[in-house]
Amino acid sequence: MALVEIRGLTKQFRKGDEVITPLDSVDLDIEQGDFVTLMGASGSGKSTLLNAVAGIDRPTSGAINVQGTDITKLSRGKLADWRAANIGYIFQMHNLVPVLTAYENIELPLLLLPMSSAERHKRVQIALEAVSLLDRAHHYPRQLSGGQEQRVGIARSIVANPTIIVGDEPTGDLDGTTTEQILDLVQRLNSELGMTMLLVTHDAKVGALAPRQLRLERGKLIEKGREVSVVSPTMHEQRA
Amino acid sequence: MFKFAPYVLKGLWRYRGRTILTVSGSAVALFVFCFVGAVQGGLERLTQDKQSERTLVVFQENRFCPQSSKLPEDYARTVSKLPGVKNVVPIKVFTNNCRASLDVIVFQGMPADQLRSVRELTLLSGGWADFDGRTDAALVGQSVAARRNLKVGQKFTIGEVTVNVVGTFRSSVPSEDNFIYTHLDFLQRSQGKNSVGTVTQLEVLLDDSASPDNVSSRIDEAFHSGPVATTTRSKGIFQRDTLSDLAELIGFAHYLGYACVGLVLALVSTTTVMAVQDRVKEHAVLQTLGVRPFRVFRLVIVESIIQSIIGGTVGIGLALLLLGLGGFSVGAEGVTIAFTPSVELAVTGAVVSLIVGVLAGIIPGWQAAQANIVTALRQA
Repeated sequence: MALVEIRGLTKQFRKGDEVITPLDSVDLDIEQGDFVTLMGASGSGKSTLLNAVAGIDRPTSGAINVQGTDITKLSRGKLADWRAANIGYIFQMHNLVPVLTAYENIELPLLLLPMSSAERHKRVQIALEAVSLLDRAHHYPRQLSGGQEQRVGIARSIVANPTIIVGDEPTGDLDGTTTEQILDLVQRLNSELGMTMLLVTHDAKVGALAPRQLRLERGKLIEKGREVSVVSPTMHEQRA
Repeated sequence: MFKFAPYVLKGLWRYRGRTILTVSGSAVALFVFCFVGAVQGGLERLTQDKQSERTLVVFQENRFCPQSSKLPEDYARTVSKLPGVKNVVPIKVFTNNCRASLDVIVFQGMPADQLRSVRELTLLSGGWADFDGRTDAALVGQSVAARRNLKVGQKFTIGEVTVNVVGTFRSSVPSEDNFIYTHLDFLQRSQGKNSVGTVTQLEVLLDDSASPDNVSSRIDEAFHSGPVATTTRSKGIFQRDTLSDLAELIGFAHYLGYACVGLVLALVSTTTVMAVQDRVKEHAVLQTLGVRPFRVFRLVIVESIIQSIIGGTVGIGLALLLLGLGGFSVGAEGVTIAFTPSVELAVTGAVVSLIVGVLAGIIPGWQAAQANIVTALRQA
C-alpha cells in the first residue's frame, strides 16, 4: 500500500458561466521516501493538487488516502489536527510570522502536538542545525535574507517530522545561488533523512532534480509521457 | 492556549500605536462608567439601606429645606412614648446651600450621648473627650475634611457658624462622611439666633416589631392639630423625596454608562476587525500548519479581551483612586450622595470589560476562523 493514494480526484469551479476542471479524475500513488516534482503551465492545477494533498483544499470528488485515512472525509477541525501531525508545508513566499523569531516560527507546529517544552526545544535545535541557522535562532524575519527566511520555512516544515513535505514553488522567490542552496537542502532531506517530498515548480531545472517527475496537462497527470494510471481493473468496474 | 501567548502579545505590540489608542479609549470609557456607577451606587445606598427602613424622619409638614423646618424639641418626648419607638434623636440641621451642589456642607447638631449611640462613627483623629469638653466642638466627616483640608485644632467658619475641629471620622454610612456633627444647643444658638427648643427634624429609631408605616401615621396624627404639623417618612423615602430632582438626573446619567459600554464595544471591535483584516494571510498560514479554526477564533477573542481588560483596568483603577481620594459628593437640602469606590464597582467594571472584550472579538474571530485557506494564502 502506497503512503499516499489519490483516486479519481476531480476539482471543478465556476468562473462566470464557464466550469473549469483543473483536476480531472487524477490517480496517483506516492511511496514512502519518494521525491516527486509536479510541473505544468500556469493554471494547470498543480497547486490545486498540492493543496488537496496538503489538506487545505477540498476536491469536488475523489479520495486522498494517506496511511489509510481518507482526508477528504475529515471535518475542518480534524483535518487541521491531521495537517499538524502529517504535513510540512513550504511556501513560495516563506510566510513566516513577522512578530516571531526564527526559533519561535519553527516551534509553532510543535505547539499543536502533545510535547514537553524540553522536547520542543530539542527538536527546534535539530531543525535549526539541519538548515544551518543555529546562529540566527533569535533573529526576526525582517533581519534575515530571503534565502535564510526560506531555510527557516523549511525547518518549520520538517520540525514535527511529518509524513509528507509539500512545497509550492519553494524556490520561486529566490535568486540562482540561493535556489541551488535550497534545492541541495531539499535533496539532502530526502536522501539522508528519507523524507517524502512533493514539490510544485514551473522551473524545468528544479523539476529535473527529482527521481519522479510529473506533469499536469488539461487536468490529467502525465508521467514519462503517459497518463498516470494506478486504478485496478476492479475499481474501473466499480466506477463504471 | 498559553503556548500561543507570545504570538498574541507580540501581535498586539506589532500594532502598538493602534493598541495603545484602543486601550486608552477603553480606559476613558470605563473611567466614566465607574464614575456614573459610583453616583448610582451612592443614591441606591442612601435610599435602599436597611437601616433607612427602620428609621423615621419627622419633618415639618410641607417643608423641604432644613432651614425652613422648625419643630418643637419636646415633640421628641411625645414620640418616644409611642409603641414601637426605641429612640428619638432631635437634630438641628444647618447647610450652606439648599440647592443642588457639589460642595454642600451639612452641620447636624444633636445631643452628644445620642450621637455616640445612634451613629456608627470611627474616629480617625481627635477624641470624644475633646468633643464633650467644648461647646463649639465639631467632628468632621472624612470627605469634608479632605475636600476642605480640615485638621484637628483648626477653626472653621461657614455661613456665620464657627466651629473648632476636635476630630475627624469615618462613618459606616458613606453619605455621612460629608457631615459635620456639633452639639445640638451650639447649633441652636449659632448665627446670632437663639432657637433653643426648636429642631429641624426628629430621627426615630424603631424596634424590630414596629411597622414603619403605622408609627409614621401615629406620629403625624399626634401632631396634626398641634402648633406644628409634621410629615413622617422612613429615612430612605425622606432622602429619596428630598433628592428627587437629582435622582432623575442620576437616572438619566445611567444611559451615559450604557453609552460608554457601547463606545468600548465599537472601539475594540473596530480595532480587532482591522487587526484581523491585516492578518488574513497569517491566519491562513497558521491553519495550514494545523491550527484549528476554533483556535484561531479563540486567539482573536483573546486579543480583543486583552485590550478591553487592560483599558478597563486602567480606567477602573483611575476612577477608584480618584473617588477614594477626592471625597466627592452631591447634595441638596441637607441630604448628600457620596461617590465612593467599592469592590462591587471594581468587579462590575471588570466583568463589563471582559464581556465587551468577548463580544468585540466574536465577529472578527469568526471571520478569521472561517476564511478559505487557499484564497487567503493568495493575498499579497
